[in-house]
Amino acid sequence: MLAQQILNGLVIGAVYSLFALGFNLIFGVHRILNLAHGGVVMVGAFAGLYAVLAGLPIWVAFIAAALAAGLLSVLIDFVAFRPLRRRGEMEFAALVSSIGADMVLTTLAQRWSNTQVMRFPFDAFPISSFTVFGLRMTTMQLSILGVVAAVSVLLFVYLYGTSFGRQVRATAENDRAARLLGVNVTAVYFQTFFISGVLAGLTGVLLGLAFNHVYFLMGEPLLLKGFVVLILGGLGSLKGALVAGFLLGVIQAICTAYLPNGLSDPVVYGLLFVIILLRPSGLFGDTVHNVRAVRQ
Amino acid sequence: MNLFAAYHPLIDLLLLNCGCAFGQYIVLRAGAFSIANAGLTSLGAYTAGILATQYGAGLGTTLLCSTLIGLVVAILLSLPLARLRGVYQAIATLAFVQIVLTLALYAEGLTGGALGLNAIPKLVGTPTLLIFVVVVFYVMAALDRTRLGQAFDAIRQDEIVAATLGVRVVSTQMVAFALSGLISGLFGGLIALHTYSIDPNQFGFPMLVSLLAMVVLGGRRSIYGPIVGATILTLLPEIARPLSDNRTLIHGMLLILIIVFLPKGVVDSLRGLSLRKPKARQQQRVAGDVPSA
Repeated sequence: MLAQQILNGLVIGAVYSLFALGFNLIFGVHRILNLAHGGVVMVGAFAGLYAVLAGLPIWVAFIAAALAAGLLSVLIDFVAFRPLRRRGEMEFAALVSSIGADMVLTTLAQRWSNTQVMRFPFDAFPISSFTVFGLRMTTMQLSILGVVAAVSVLLFVYLYGTSFGRQVRATAENDRAARLLGVNVTAVYFQTFFISGVLAGLTGVLLGLAFNHVYFLMGEPLLLKGFVVLILGGLGSLKGALVAGFLLGVIQAICTAYLPNGLSDPVVYGLLFVIILLRPSGLFGDTVHNVRAVRQ
Repeated sequence: MNLFAAYHPLIDLLLLNCGCAFGQYIVLRAGAFSIANAGLTSLGAYTAGILATQYGAGLGTTLLCSTLIGLVVAILLSLPLARLRGVYQAIATLAFVQIVLTLALYAEGLTGGALGLNAIPKLVGTPTLLIFVVVVFYVMAALDRTRLGQAFDAIRQDEIVAATLGVRVVSTQMVAFALSGLISGLFGGLIALHTYSIDPNQFGFPMLVSLLAMVVLGGRRSIYGPIVGATILTLLPEIARPLSDNRTLIHGMLLILIIVFLPKGVVDSLRGLSLRKPKARQQQRVAGDVPSA
């Protein structure tokens, strides 16, 4: 029973991880808390759903969702963040304009979908279940874990194994110094927003398939859970986001199974609150993160 | 008089929004990224609602209790929060709002869960609301002239400079948090005693966003900022009826446009224009003086 709960938690946690990776990539490079990321996930899910409804195979739907969300993310950067980057006082301004962007996205999606919950067709994804070591698994759960594993390996190879990734990390460290060293910072900004959007789009389709639930507000609870993951793992730390996503998934599954109904959310947000107070740099944060987080 | 009768509910709504916007304004002015006000307001509203419906408490007791709850919770929150930096404050306060709302949904016996509290006696009319808004405005105006108001501005503009000038950043922001809790608790109580019923959804993300929008739109420096912001955002859907269906869309676009083109908000930008003119003239005069000297 416990092992089954942990397995279910790991699957949900994988989706949280994917979400948090995209969110954290932007925070790590731009120091922007992009509250529109939940909206981008939702648009990704919509794009995937419409691709499936148009009769395309599921893997094409994944690619379509990833591309749509990636381009949308770049568009948000152009409209909401780029004008702010030329001024100082980026933190507050970006927070506000990302909230604005999120509201625009959710309202448009609400109109588009007439405030209705939409579902993937029944045969969109072949689901069969099997038993391994006494644990019940479905092909859906297996493919969620597979997609998340593949995407995160690709992301880490990209960031830590290629020259492009080195440029991204240099920009994250100090964009002015990176520019002086000949890094095309504008291209880095473009890339990070596109990659973050691609991750969000994949998150959206996985989430939509897993719960068979595509809704204009689906990004909002995910965004709130995403914050817990970010704080657990440390803002800006990709490794932290990956591990903390799985951790939160497991914690939440256990809370839902063993605590009275409705108490799991307060526990999760309470956890966020406790961690932000006791260890604001997160589980994987170092002294540098600590100085950024707390006034001395 | 007919005009007043026709627009009576709108005026009440406007006054409530102004009060809540002041609760948000005071923390933003002090450079704190707190968005806890939706949570603090809901605490005040639930306190008032529970006292008024289940214990039959009068206007004075109810409002006093909801104000105190807001104040005490805000002070407790500020102990750890004022030590955190910008973005972390925003996330922690967002978590606080979620904790309050999920608990309000969970504790059905006390709060009525998702259905909320209904049949709250209406103890508050326009005059009472007006009095409280004027009192809060007066306190803010008085604060504007004190060292505390200047300390708030210094922290918002540059925290490090403020600290080197001898401003105690942490304790000053704690005062701002406390004031914000007091105002939010009070107006939460007024909302409960004015609107007959309250439920958790009314204090969620939409309220948080609209409070933020009011202050960002109006301006974070001037005490007229929250009033102007609340007035524009309350009246805009009424003036342009077709727009009211797209209320959230317009809020969202306004937030982006304002922060991109008028980052200081309407009032502060206008004030900046009127202040800049004499200064520019002065500079011209100085520049003109130099060659002749």
